Parts: sequence; structure tokens; C-alpha cells
Amino acid sequence: MTNNEYPEEILQSLEDYNIDIRDFLPGHGSGAKLLLDFNKISGVEQVEGIILKGREIDNGIVADIIIKEGTHHEEPIHLCFGVNKESGIQEIFPRIIAEDNTDVKIQAHCSFPNANGLIHKMYGHFYIGKNCNFTYSETHYHGEKSGALVAPVAIIYVGENSTFENNFNLTKGTPGKVKIMIDIYAMRNSTIRSNIRAFGKNKKDSIRVRDSIFLEGENAKSLIKMKAAARDGGEVLMYGITEGNAPHCNGHVECNEIVLGKGSICRARPFIRATDPTSSVSHEASLGRFPQKWLDELQAKGLTEQEATDILIEAMLRE
Amino acid sequence: MLLELENVTIPTFDKQRIIVNNVSFGVKEGSIHSIIGPNGSGKSTLAYTIMGLTNYKLKSGKIKFEDKDITDKTITERAQLGITLAWQEPARIEGLSVAKYISLGVKEKSRIKEKVKDVLQTVNLEPEKYVDRFIDDSLSGGERKRIELAAAIAMQPRLIILDEPDSGLDVIITEDFWNIFNKIKELNMTILLITHREDIGMVADYGTLLWRGEHLITDEFPKVMLQYCKKAGLKEFCKRALFKNGVKCFDDDYIDKIFEGVDLND
Ligand SMILES: Nc1ncnc2c1ncn2[C@@H]1O[C@H](COP(=O)(O)OP(=O)(O)OP(=O)(O)O)[C@@H](O)[C@H]1O
Ligand SMILES: [Mg+2]
Repeated sequence: MTNNEYPEEILQSLEDYNIDIRDFLPGHGSGAKLLLDFNKISGVEQVEGIILKGREIDNGIVADIIIKEGTHHEEPIHLCFGVNKESGIQEIFPRIIAEDNTDVKIQAHCSFPNANGLIHKMYGHFYIGKNCNFTYSETHYHGEKSGALVAPVAIIYVGENSTFENNFNLTKGTPGKVKIMIDIYAMRNSTIRSNIRAFGKNKKDSIRVRDSIFLEGENAKSLIKMKAAARDGGEVLMYGITEGNAPHCNGHVECNEIVLGKGSICRARPFIRATDPTSSVSHEASLGRFPQKWLDELQAKGLTEQEATDILIEAMLRE
Repeated sequence: MLLELENVTIPTFDKQRIIVNNVSFGVKEGSIHSIIGPNGSGKSTLAYTIMGLTNYKLKSGKIKFEDKDITDKTITERAQLGITLAWQEPARIEGLSVAKYISLGVKEKSRIKEKVKDVLQTVNLEPEKYVDRFIDDSLSGGERKRIELAAAIAMQPRLIILDEPDSGLDVIITEDFWNIFNKIKELNMTILLITHREDIGMVADYGTLLWRGEHLITDEFPKVMLQYCKKAGLKEFCKRALFKNGVKCFDDDYIDKIFEGVDLND
């Protein structure tokens, strides 16, 4: 297929996240790709060692991604779940299996530039085998109107000696109503890093994120970093949960939040629990405004307080 | 005069005490004007007040910039009029790149990358090594201060207030600083320089001596320095250290006389 078959409008928002649009276009780059235009699969590109299969269902697709044993790929697998209509329902069921000894990244982008009452749901299952290195990064853009109703759920199993990194970024545009639930099960000697960033900008935005890591195997390690900002009536609630359920496992949850303007609500909260006496789980949290000195420094460069705040939020939420 | 202070009195935040008392002096356009005085004499307080920081309000007096009263103007408005400040201890902000930070105050955004490169070169930092870094804890103290200076220069302000640009930096870099000041001057900026280092202060055309919040003298810089030394009882230092462009500013005999109590203007 040619580039102009996929609505470019959907991909435009990638630029705000400093991601190269071309990497997502069929015929470009060396990565595997799957592009979804509302409920229609409009492009699939396979590479060696990676099976990508999409099947259209009533309101969306079932997508199977299998990374064959021993596969290493520098170039990420690009997934784009896009809708350029205002409303409708898009449901996605990704089933992702990374076989043993694989090293891959997935870059997923959910983009709904004209959303106004749109519903997007995802039920993802991830199975990561032994000795893997797996990175899943997901960026979201829900337009500037009223955002979308977005509810992704992911259940992720991370096998022995594997490293799993999760990056979730919802910082551009107006998100709308978003509810995200992630459960990660970490087996022996595995390492999990989860970075979540969200920004609620106005009264239409209500974002809830629950990111849970269960350290189920000996020596499993995890780090959750949550960064949330809410302004002008936006609401962001984030829960970073870690359970230490195995000997010598080690988890840490870090939460930073900034609340600005009347009616804004922002909570980034760690919840930790240790059921094994040799495990260690800890947390730290910071909340509030930016230090006056930071604002003064930027204002002394001619920025208004609002502009200075925007720059500081952007810096805080940056990858 | 580019900047004029008229009977400026600055209280503490809680207004219980006076930090700077009834200070008046002017800063000539195109000059390097140095404010000197011992620790705690009110130099930074005065700098913050000229910049218009929220917590530094006058109890009485007036600040004029280009003959306009700016006493009630906000920090943003003053910056937009052409005043900026490079902090004694600039903040570390995670996620804010050097390039972004420097370009914040640049009004004309065309050719911005080159402008950022230029000012980094002006402060003797190799642009390729720094543009993509962040102004966080990973920078050394000296690097952060140079970037602060670069960001202030990039704004091309009329008046640039430098609060101890030399503190925390190596003595070897004195030469470096002279070059930087000369470049700033070439760009038609006026410099208000706060420093504890007489060798760096010596680039100044004029000086103001603050003493426990009081204004003692504003004059040509060497004369102000002489007065400072006298106040502090540093006669030998005075004979040893007051050079301008390699030439001694005052004869030893003259210094002796001044220290014996003869008035500077006699
Ligand atoms: N908010 C405040 N409350 C009380 N005292 C204050 C406050 N701010 C400053 N001061 C005092 O005012 C005096 C002047 O401080 P300032 O920082 O202006 O001095 P400085 O001349 O810049 O000193 P240095 O050379 O050490 O940088 C100091 O004694 C300081 O402790
Ligand atoms: Mg000071």
C-alpha cells in the first residue's frame, strides 16, 4: 500500500512526542508495523522472527504478535491504533507473546485527533518468556475537543531473568476520560521498570491510572515512576502499587505530582505491601507547586507565569 | 542613566527589619557597574529588587529604567523591557534541555539553533557537548553558571544583572571572564556586576559600595574599591591589588594618605 492510504492526520500527533512519523508509514524503515484505521486494518508489515496477525471483529480487532525465540530487533515494532472520526467504538485485543531469549521494543501510538465522544478500549495480554529484553512504549493523543473515553487494561507476565520496561505517556492534547489498569507479574530475577506520565489540562479531563507490580519470583526487582500534573480543573489520580511476595525481591515506587489552578485534583500515590519478610519495598512522593525560584528564573527571561509553568510541566513530564 | 534607584528601602519578607536602607545611585548606559560590599550587605537583595521578584517589594523609594518608573512593574514586565538577572545559585531543573533553556528568552526565534550555539561559544562551552544536555544535577557548578550567563546574554537585554558570576569558579578563569564581559559590552548591554573578586571587579567602569544595607559611595570603580579597603582596614591589599589594565590605580603615598584620614576628593 502507499503512504497516503493511511490518514496522515492520525499520525501527526507523533511529532508532539518527538517520534518520527515516517517510522510508522508502510514502506519505510525496517520495523514491523500494524496500522489500524478505526476498525479496519489498513497496513501490516512483517519482519523476520516476528509474526503480526490482525483479525477484524465487530468493533475492532484481535491482534496477535509473536516474537519467535532468539529474535533481536533494534527497530521497534510500530503499532498505530487510530481513529479520525469524532465518535464510535474501537476495541482492541492484543495478545503478545515474546518467546525466550528475545530482545524487542514495541512503540504503540493511540491517536484520536477529532475525538468527541469516541470510545477506545483495549484488553491486552502479554507473555514475556525467559531471558528477554522487552520494552513497550505507548503514547496517546485524544485531540483538543473533549478527548475520548479510553480504558486500556493490560495483564503482563514477565518470565525469569527478563527485563520489561513500560512507558505510558498521555501528556499532549486534552485526554478526556481515561482509566488505565496495568497488572505486571514479575518472576525470578526479572526486572520491571514502569514510567507513567499524564497531564490533565481542564475540567473535561479525568485520568485514573492503576499500575500494579507483583514481585512473585525470588530477586525480582521493580521501579515505578509516576508523574502527574493537573491544571485548570483537570483531575489525575494515579496509584502505583507494588507487592513484595517473594524472597529478596525489591520494589520502589516514586510519585511526583503538580497541581495548578482552581478545582484541579492531582494524586499520585504509592501503595506498597510486603508479604515476604526478606523482600523490600519502598516509596517516595512529592507533591505541590513548582518552587517560586524556578518560576522567577523563567519569568526573568520574559515569560509570563503561565508560560513558565507550561515549560516546567513539559520538563517534568518529559521522557 | 539607564537605571536609577531613588531612596530605595527594602524590608525583609516579614517586614520586621530593613535590609537595604535609603539607597540612591544610577547606572550609566553602556557601562559595567559593580556593586561591592561584605557578605550580607544587601547586594543580592538589591539585585532581586531591581529584577522585581515577587517577594522583594520596596518599603519606599523608586526604581526607574530609561526614565520610566518601573517600581510597580512585575518581573515579567521588567524582563520584557530589557532587564534580566543571572542568579548566584541558578536552579537545576530536570527535563529542561540546555538548548531550550537558553532559547526561552530569545524573542526572535529564527535561526535559534545558531543563536544558542553562538552564546555557548561566548561563555566558552563547546556547543556540541552541551545543547542536548539538561540543566539538572548532571552539570558541574561552573557549567551551570556559564549556561546561566549564556541564557542571559541570548536575551540581548539592555541591562544584565550578574550576581557573583565568578563564585564557585576557578581562579584561572579570570581572563575568561574579562573576555566574556567585553563580548557582552560589544553587544551594547549594560552590566550590573556583583562580585567579591577585586580582580574581576576591576573590569568595571563604576562601582557602588554597600555596607550593612547602607550606600557609602558610587564613583569610578577604583575609587570605590579604595574606600572599601579603607573601611575594611586593608591597606597592604590595596597597594598590592588595585591594578587596572596592568597599571597601578593609585600611588602608595596616596593610599597612605587616604588611610590616614584625608578625604578621597581632596
Ligand atoms: N527574608 C529575609 N529575612 C531576614 N533577613 C534576610 C532575608 N533576606 C535576606 N536577609 C538578610 O539580609 C542581609 C542581606 O542579604 P543579601 O543576600 O542581600 O546579602 P549579599 O550582600 O548578597 O551577601 P553575599 O555576599 O553573602 O551574597 C543578610 O544579612 C541576610 O541574612
Ligand atoms: Mg549575594
